[in-house]
Amino acid sequence: MSAPPDAAADAASTAAGAPDASGLARSSGPAAGGSGHPAGAPGEGPPPYGARPSRISTRKLTVLPSLLVVVLLGTWLWFRQAELDAISANALANGQVWLALRQHIALTALSTFFVLLIAVPLGVLLTRRRFRAATPFVRAVANAGQATPAIGLLALLVIWLGIGRTAALIGMIAYAVLPVLSNTMAGLRANDPTLLEAARGIGMSPAEVLVRVELPLAVPLILAGVRTALVLNVGTATLAAFGGGGGLGVLITTGITNQRMPVLVLGSVLTVALALLVDWLASLAEVLLRPRGLQEGP
Amino acid sequence: MGFWDYVGSYREKLLFDAYQHASAVLQCVVVATVAGVAIGVVTYRREWAAGLATTTTSALLTVPSLAMIGLLIPVVGLGVAPTVIALTLYGLLPVVRNAIVGLRGVDPALVDAAKGIGMSRARRLLRVELPLAWPPILTGVRVATQLLMGIAAIAAYASGPGLGNEIFRGIASLGSANALNQVLAGTLGIVVLALLFDAAYVLLGRLTIPRGIRG
Repeated sequence: MSAPPDAAADAASTAAGAPDASGLARSSGPAAGGSGHPAGAPGEGPPPYGARPSRISTRKLTVLPSLLVVVLLGTWLWFRQAELDAISANALANGQVWLALRQHIALTALSTFFVLLIAVPLGVLLTRRRFRAATPFVRAVANAGQATPAIGLLALLVIWLGIGRTAALIGMIAYAVLPVLSNTMAGLRANDPTLLEAARGIGMSPAEVLVRVELPLAVPLILAGVRTALVLNVGTATLAAFGGGGGLGVLITTGITNQRMPVLVLGSVLTVALALLVDWLASLAEVLLRPRGLQEGP
Repeated sequence: MGFWDYVGSYREKLLFDAYQHASAVLQCVVVATVAGVAIGVVTYRREWAAGLATTTTSALLTVPSLAMIGLLIPVVGLGVAPTVIALTLYGLLPVVRNAIVGLRGVDPALVDAAKGIGMSRARRLLRVELPLAWPPILTGVRVATQLLMGIAAIAAYASGPGLGNEIFRGIASLGSANALNQVLAGTLGIVVLALLFDAAYVLLGRLTIPRGIRG
């Protein structure tokens, strides 16, 4: 059978790689066979001051929103002519669609907030020299966590904490912390050691090195982690419906159990549109918030 | 009833669900791998095509699985069909992305050398490029498998096969004595399956990655 040390090393290499590919980070990451370049490595200097080309192409700005408008408009038009029976009408009446949408957005925003609050500081802490010893343990937990199905985790929390929003939120946070954590850790580790050495050499304290050099250099990967968390959370928020946590999943599950296609389709279309919109907004933020010196390409 | 008593008395049903879960995931992974590598091979040499393939598949992965299944049900009905389609689509992204990156990462000098000794395009692809790109592709397949394990659980809500049924039976009977056992059996069963698959991939990597490029 496989030798333990090798297997461990292999598992470790995917711990950094897996969330990258499964978590749809757009940069070519460790999963892509080591072609990911460490942030800050490119030798070109920052673009000359004064000449600040727009960072976002018009195509990127227009394609997805117009697609979403077309899809939502199509759904709306289809709904206007669709004949709803009592059950469907009941499931959609009294602003329940808006309520579900608002709940979904609230669940996503809240869980993402807490995920970042937990994962980024923890990532910083775990990459400090003092806590290096804990890394294999964290890797093992991350690997096991990755294998746990979200719906199972959520169901266990509902049994433990009772039906409601709290259980759903905790499940979503627990599920998204791991990918963001390993993204942050990978980002901080990939920093060029000579830069850190130089920063220490000019007399910066460890705290200054962290705040003024390490974190700015790791911003792209941390932002990729934010995007991963957002997209994951929009998805797991649909599962909150199984634990009485509300959200657009309510429409989908009602549609499936009652065999009412209009309800099912509306819930699904809205969820998909929301997921794509959130991903698009996060991708804009990824470009806009990246430190100027680390911009990719010309 | 304790958890192990539960597992003991429902052993056959659990084993059947686990078998169906593993078999659904495995079949969809195989289809996704073949299709994903094919997409990679067709697109990797053209910038726009490779970009299109990656953007499309990653947009697919952005779609929440419950919504994807919800959109498939009106078209193909409940049961195995939406499960298989959804699983295969979700499995594509990691494979396509890693196939494109892997094929692009092959040293052009090697391809040139292969051309120089008279290899045809097909032979270059099969004998040189794909073997060299195989490790990242295998990583993609592994990631896809882990992803599909969890999504297959959700597909059980649309009457799909597998251990997800255990979890949903538990959710449906919340408060009953067996709810925790059912959810726990389904969840742990999936974790065990995922770890077994992972071990199998390590072994597969040993057997299939050419000796010359083993790390």
